[in-house]
Amino acid sequence: MATILETAASVGVFNTLLAAVDAAGLREALESPGPFTVLAPVDDAFAALPPGTVQTLVDNPPQLARILKYHVIAGRHLRNELITQEAWDSLEGAPIAIRSTDPFEVKNATVVTADVECDNGVVHVINRVILPG
Amino acid sequence: MTLLLLLLIPVVVACGLPLLPAESPWVRRLALLAALAQMSVGLLAWRTPPADLSVSWLPKLGLRLDLGLDGLSLPLVLLAALITAMAVLATPVGQSRPRLFFALLLVTNVGLMGSFLARNALLFVLAYELIMIPTTLLVAIWGGERRAGAAIRFLIYGAVSGITLLAAVLAFGWLNPGGVDFSFTDLAHHNLTLQQQHWLLALVLVAFGLKLPIVPLHGWQPLTYSQAPTPVAMLLSGAVSKLGAYGLLRFGIQFLPDAWSDWSAWIAAVGAVSAIYGALNAIAQLDMRRLVAYSSLGHMGFLVLALAAATPLSLQGMMAQILAHGLIIALLFCLVGLIETKTGTAEIPALSGLLNAQRGLPFTMGLLLLALMAAAGVPGQAGFVAELLVFEGSWVAYPIPTLVCLVSSGFTAVYAVRLFNRVGFGRLDNAKADWASTSWGERVPALVLTALVLVGGIWPALLTGWSEDATAPLALRSSDAVTVIAAAPHTSISELSA
Amino acid sequence: MTTTTAPEPTKAPLIPPSTHRYADVIHRLEAGGSMLPDTPENLKQIIGIYKAYAVPMDFYWRDLLYIAEQVFLNPLPAFKYFISKEYLDRPNSYAGDQSQLRIWRGTEKAHPELLEFMDRGETRRMPKLLHHLWHDRVNMEFAEACMQAMLWHQGMGGRFNDYLESDAYKANADRAIKAYFKGNPLMLGLYKLFPEMVLEQVRQLSYYANLGLFWEVMAPVFFEMSDIYDEGGFKGVPDAMDFLVNGIFAVAGRPIYHHVFIDGECFEIIPKSEGFTWLYEAALPYVEAVFYRTSPFRGTKSYNAQAGQVPANQADFHYGILYADVYPVGSAGIPPTLLMQDVLHFLPPYLKEIYKQHRRGEEDELIQLGITFQRSMYNVTSAVIQALRCALLYPLDDTDPKHLQANRAFFEAQMDRFLRPEARLPDIQTQDYR
Repeated sequence: MATILETAASVGVFNTLLAAVDAAGLREALESPGPFTVLAPVDDAFAALPPGTVQTLVDNPPQLARILKYHVIAGRHLRNELITQEAWDSLEGAPIAIRSTDPFEVKNATVVTADVECDNGVVHVINRVILPG
Repeated sequence: MTLLLLLLIPVVVACGLPLLPAESPWVRRLALLAALAQMSVGLLAWRTPPADLSVSWLPKLGLRLDLGLDGLSLPLVLLAALITAMAVLATPVGQSRPRLFFALLLVTNVGLMGSFLARNALLFVLAYELIMIPTTLLVAIWGGERRAGAAIRFLIYGAVSGITLLAAVLAFGWLNPGGVDFSFTDLAHHNLTLQQQHWLLALVLVAFGLKLPIVPLHGWQPLTYSQAPTPVAMLLSGAVSKLGAYGLLRFGIQFLPDAWSDWSAWIAAVGAVSAIYGALNAIAQLDMRRLVAYSSLGHMGFLVLALAAATPLSLQGMMAQILAHGLIIALLFCLVGLIETKTGTAEIPALSGLLNAQRGLPFTMGLLLLALMAAAGVPGQAGFVAELLVFEGSWVAYPIPTLVCLVSSGFTAVYAVRLFNRVGFGRLDNAKADWASTSWGERVPALVLTALVLVGGIWPALLTGWSEDATAPLALRSSDAVTVIAAAPHTSISELSA
Repeated sequence: MTTTTAPEPTKAPLIPPSTHRYADVIHRLEAGGSMLPDTPENLKQIIGIYKAYAVPMDFYWRDLLYIAEQVFLNPLPAFKYFISKEYLDRPNSYAGDQSQLRIWRGTEKAHPELLEFMDRGETRRMPKLLHHLWHDRVNMEFAEACMQAMLWHQGMGGRFNDYLESDAYKANADRAIKAYFKGNPLMLGLYKLFPEMVLEQVRQLSYYANLGLFWEVMAPVFFEMSDIYDEGGFKGVPDAMDFLVNGIFAVAGRPIYHHVFIDGECFEIIPKSEGFTWLYEAALPYVEAVFYRTSPFRGTKSYNAQAGQVPANQADFHYGILYADVYPVGSAGIPPTLLMQDVLHFLPPYLKEIYKQHRRGEEDELIQLGITFQRSMYNVTSAVIQALRCALLYPLDDTDPKHLQANRAFFEAQMDRFLRPEARLPDIQTQDYR
């Protein structure tokens, strides 16, 4: 199996996410053994944000890191585990609500593909960028 | 001639008004010009006192057209002319049936002038009665919601007053030992016995007490003043009520001095009661116009107190109070009427925040503040001068009633402050505040009256100068109130300088 | 891209209509509109007032940063409103050619109308000190009152307030305080005696910086809206609101920081690396603290606890612009009236025309523009609500009824805040409210 980032790179729909991870300086952290549960937004999710949003974040690494950390939960949690709790604490600190089990929805994003296993964690592919609050 | 002019001007204009088209602006202008012309003639008369006019009219009845102007009637003539002018100015531009309205105002003016200029008691009664009909019509046609009741009550009280006065005057004439003679010169010789004087004084007190009014004869006043249209309220309270005081001075003090001295303690008490009654009721009112009406009632109490004391100083104070109060009460009714026109209500609980500089009525409220202060007797304005003279003059004669009146004057401040606080300060309700700002045309009468009130406060001669010499000989007590002077029986009116 | 277009009208609605008191407004929000009805006059009014508001705002943000960064802990800041040329020329990050994310097509320096007003005022050209003493200037006191509202209400969301109590902040502040008062034994002694007092002053200054950075964004947004409207780019109120929504998102990630310059050296009291964002640490707390809550104005409410006029619960405070009774305009002790006075100086001619034709014309412009300002702030609040919905919930044209129901619940919860009688939401639905 590959690491989270390698898996993401191989799929091909996470270019924006990977660029953001690099810009935020989180590559090393996500290459570490972890394990992490990553909610990965596809490129279309980033494109759906109003113009300039991503640009502003990319220009400000600490702020970008914060948003990206909100997409990560410590530990390896598969879907069946995630749906047992109402909310999970993200690495950023704010909670991520599990709004629905079937279809599997995390905050206002739908998980299109769950349980993509990697060496240092598991990736769930989501269709929107989630934000704290 | 001047005297006749004073009477003829309003008569001619009143008759001429119906000839104009109803919408013509000249209806209003002519009425105003008439009043202003009267004022000018009055001022001319002050400069060059005219000789008395004496024309035989109905000798069989003893009715002569005797007209004369002395120090007592001159300021009242000027006051009446001024208040008429201000009343015309305070009439809203869209007044219905303007020709009739202004004609009736002018006829009231004729009655007032006739009363003040009369030197014959029967003529006096004639003019006095003349006022009754136009004022009743003015209230009945253009008044507020309850105008019908108000007009009828006003008419009844006024009719009783008129009949009582007629009876008194006829008695005056017939009881004259030298034959039926209604002229003032003759009546001033007061050849009546004490008992006759007592009877006549009772009638005179009732007749003029109904006019002033004083408690307990005041039943018509709050309703009529609050239901009358603003210009009529100004005229009634500012000029017509003063007729009552003038009548008491002439018919009471001048013609019946002995009876008056006997009863003056009671009269003083009535004045004090009237003052307190008026002030306390004013505090309780929720309608601005009724508040001002009761305020007027209270101030009439001071007049009666001053008359009762009848010292030279108090009589001066009485004349000052007549002028000052006439101006102040006309001003108050004018301003309250303006507020009612603009906001649509005179209810105090419904109003607040009118001092708001952008959407309220700041100019009107500013003048209202001055008017209320004047009514409360704050130094620097005419009210203070008048009250000071009245209280100083009456204190030596009747200290207790004077104290009571002083307390009542204190209460005036209470309702003045409460009124201004409720209506002026606080939050203005945006949803209701859709009136236009007052125009300069609407502000003029209030401005003129305020200016006069302020001038009167810092230049008291404006209030007392006209009549000082005329009131002194009428006093029944000396300044230290120890001796009761039998008023000089042989001073004829024409010898009294204006 | 947020497209807040209405769902196709031929489709039947996926969820039943709302039964809330403000159901009309909720349905309008769900269709992509604003709380303010979409009429041409509303659009004209709000754009005009945005532009008139943005000019003094240009001064506010610059002076707020001047005070936070330069004046800092000056014990007698008599000249804190005498902004330096450096700060007047400080480039706005979102305007001008040098901007990396250009929102406004205009200049990055102070707006020319502002400069003209600072020069002349309502009277005439005078030395600045005379303008200041005559109070013929921009009313900076309003900006400070907004800052104080944010400071006083504290935890209105975001991490900013918690950070101000943290050790890292205290250490940073301590360094800056000692550097500022170097060689001043009196003030250093005061700091030793009352460290919390001086720290509280620094916290207040951090809020100055927060508000300054917030308004630095809003000013070019409003200027650009005015320019777009002038060229006919807005077809209605929803368009204007969408511009605001896009603007909010575009700048959401802007860092919020507090840097102080003491003797040329920069002390980072709140460094950018803490990750504070414009959206969470500045905009949302500002809207809550200033639009909704603020504080009861002196002279209008009794502060006597026994009188019970001020709610015991901070969350019940309802003195912000959304609940304001615009009437006491000009009364002492009411900071928004200072803003009205400022806005009065920069009204565009088309707005003056509207005011001349209604109510008392030029006499009560202050009240009329205050009410227009209220309408415009309802529009801004709508933009914030729509932005939150976009960030945390579902698109308006979502086909899943559960999602639409979640949106509906969110909108209803927002409308619940306007159920109290002081809310002006019902008033702004008609054009008569002037």
